[in-house]
Amino acid sequence: MNRIFILTPLIVLLIICIFSLVYLLSGKDPNKPPSALLNKDVPIFESSSLYNAKDIIKTKDIKNKKTLINFFASWCSPCKIEHPLFFEIRKKYPELYLLGFNHKDPTSDAKKYLKDDGNPYDFVGVDSEGLIALEFGVFGLPETYLINEDGKIIYKFMGPITMDILKNEIEPLL
Amino acid sequence: MSSLVGFLSLVFAIGINFYLFLSRYIFKFQKQKFNLFIRFSSLLTLLSFFSLMYAYVVSDFSNYNVFQNSHSNKPLIYKISGTWGNHEGSMLLWLCILSIFSFFFSFTKNIEDNFQKLTLIIQAFLHILFGLFIVFTSNPFLVNSILVNEGLGLNPILQDPGLAVHPPILYAGYVGYSIVFSIAIAGLFQNTDDEWIYVAKKWSLISWTFLTGGIALGSYWAYYELGWGGWWFWDPVENISLMPWIAGLALVHSLMMVRGEQAIKKWIVFLSILCFSLSVFGTFLVRSGILTSVHSFAADASRGIFILLIFFIVTGFGFLVFLLKEPKKSNALNLLFINKVSALVINNILMIIATLTILLGTIYPIIIEVLYNKRISVGGPYFNSTVIPIMIPGFLLMSIAPILSWQTNKINNSKKYVLAFIILSVLVILQSYFLDFNTWGFVGLLLGFWIILASIIAIFSSYKIKINIKFFKIINPHVAHIGVGIAIIGITCSSVFQNELDFNLNEGDKFNVNGKTVLFEKIETTNEINFQSLRGKFLFDIEKNQSKKIEAGKNYYPVSKMITSEAGILHKWNKDIYFILGDQKNNEWFVKVLINPFVSFIWLGVIIMMYSGLIAISRR
Repeated sequence: MNRIFILTPLIVLLIICIFSLVYLLSGKDPNKPPSALLNKDVPIFESSSLYNAKDIIKTKDIKNKKTLINFFASWCSPCKIEHPLFFEIRKKYPELYLLGFNHKDPTSDAKKYLKDDGNPYDFVGVDSEGLIALEFGVFGLPETYLINEDGKIIYKFMGPITMDILKNEIEPLL
Repeated sequence: MSSLVGFLSLVFAIGINFYLFLSRYIFKFQKQKFNLFIRFSSLLTLLSFFSLMYAYVVSDFSNYNVFQNSHSNKPLIYKISGTWGNHEGSMLLWLCILSIFSFFFSFTKNIEDNFQKLTLIIQAFLHILFGLFIVFTSNPFLVNSILVNEGLGLNPILQDPGLAVHPPILYAGYVGYSIVFSIAIAGLFQNTDDEWIYVAKKWSLISWTFLTGGIALGSYWAYYELGWGGWWFWDPVENISLMPWIAGLALVHSLMMVRGEQAIKKWIVFLSILCFSLSVFGTFLVRSGILTSVHSFAADASRGIFILLIFFIVTGFGFLVFLLKEPKKSNALNLLFINKVSALVINNILMIIATLTILLGTIYPIIIEVLYNKRISVGGPYFNSTVIPIMIPGFLLMSIAPILSWQTNKINNSKKYVLAFIILSVLVILQSYFLDFNTWGFVGLLLGFWIILASIIAIFSSYKIKINIKFFKIINPHVAHIGVGIAIIGITCSSVFQNELDFNLNEGDKFNVNGKTVLFEKIETTNEINFQSLRGKFLFDIEKNQSKKIEAGKNYYPVSKMITSEAGILHKWNKDIYFILGDQKNNEWFVKVLINPFVSFIWLGVIIMMYSGLIAISRR
């Protein structure tokens, strides 16, 4: 009896650790409630091009095509890491529309960044105040959203995408 | 440069601790030399911490951590507090406090050399674990890979003087339990005399006092900064600070009471391990980002797994040693129907049940999400309806426990207490009959006043009143309980009898709050160094000459593009009048006014508890 009493803390410890471990390993993120944004309509936005202020993109412009939206900035080093992957995506899925939103960045820095590292996007929208990011519920850069032909968000990823994520999570949806 | 110094001294300190850890098995040291090494490693860890602070003060953005969390426009105090306002820096602070505790413990006299050494070796082991965690997953000294001349800013909600000091004090409480843990484990290994109990008592009181201060500061901050009108929200992070606090309270009481009973000693060891385990578990929950709360930082699974591993090792090791080396059983407890020992046992059982209830509520969402993939949140309703009823019998017992006898069932002057209780009950019943009746209000007030009254009766009838230090030391337990009583009254009044008024106002409007006329003067926007402020200016009680100014509004922080709410609070001894400025609609401003009675009693009660913690530390 006494023995069981003393063993209890160890058993409780084991249970807590197992559950926490499963939780952590399952890649759940408390900041990303399960499927909160998924299957919702893409937020309404309007943004001008980085290269030509008269060139405007609106929500309705991305209807009827699959779109990958990526929020990036020149000051964001994880963005630099994922950047080359967008060229791969471009090559492999030429029909996918790549929309980049430049987040809280001076125009000159953004242009220089895309000149040095290359520009994989079909359109680079300016989000200098971060208002579009606010609509999308962007938590930190980079963030990537996949929108289907009906204008619904079918996938969201926080942080730099990697080859594994591209292969296992994004490609099956394309 | 400072980053390099910081990193090297951090690694070097871990190296020394590794060396000290091995000294138990390989290298043998003299006590003097051993202590010198411990102190040296503490100084190195301090140096490491101050190098990071220096990088923040001079806005050295070549350090990635500084770049991510600071901005050159910030006032100096928030540059300094920025050091621990982020995950990496706060873990370094954690380690730093751990080594400061080791530093001071190495000066402890009156304990056996081997025992002190073993305690410090366990501390060294903890230092290694957390040091490696910092180096491998949370290094604050990483070099920024891009050249920048400006940083990204600190979370504006943290730009507040209360919050600048809240983490170090809270951490001093959490980490202080590491020493208690080490002492208990060393005690199990050596299994010698009872000297360690007195040493453990002092350190657990120190930790508990810090923890009390840290929790109170945090909750005071939530009160005036979050602008929700309350001071406790059963947020997961609040819960995990409350668990070691309650367990620590049980520990402090057990340590006060122990008179050589083996069963209690065993219990003390258990509580010592539990307190530190809960501290580490709290660190895990916050730092892994596994629970959402106002404290969440960016989640990172590898970090989470690393701390989970540390938690598992530390707690598993502690309880395993407890299992294998349990103190020998001998003289039984002197349990009577109602004497000091039985009161202590009941008090401890209640506190542990309360701790477990909070633990269950806190980790329940994790379990449910793993099993059913559903997101649920456990909040106020669960905790209010479980924890409070569990605590009530404990509070009742508390009022008379200090005057109970060790040996017999008798209570001196029991008639006085019964009479006092009856009179008090009648008064409270009358009060709640004429004012608005509320069950919880009734119970809370009766309980609070009863604890205060019983403690005062006990002081006057059991001791000769003298004004000297010794007298204050003797009546200290009663003083602590009076503090609890005052806090209970504050908690009850401010939560049960809170009054809410909503207004839609134009500038220049007059409105009525609590029988006083308030003028909504104007809206004013100003540009401060690192934020823009929007303030509604109110004049309270304009009929009097000395009308009070109240400002409530919002701050907008352009660097991080965040808006924080700033409540305007008029403090009076018996109530706080709490103004919240809402949004503007159709040219009218929404203004919410909360009348929180007796909030000041909560802080007063906490201050008394901390005072009595300090007195108890000085008492042997």
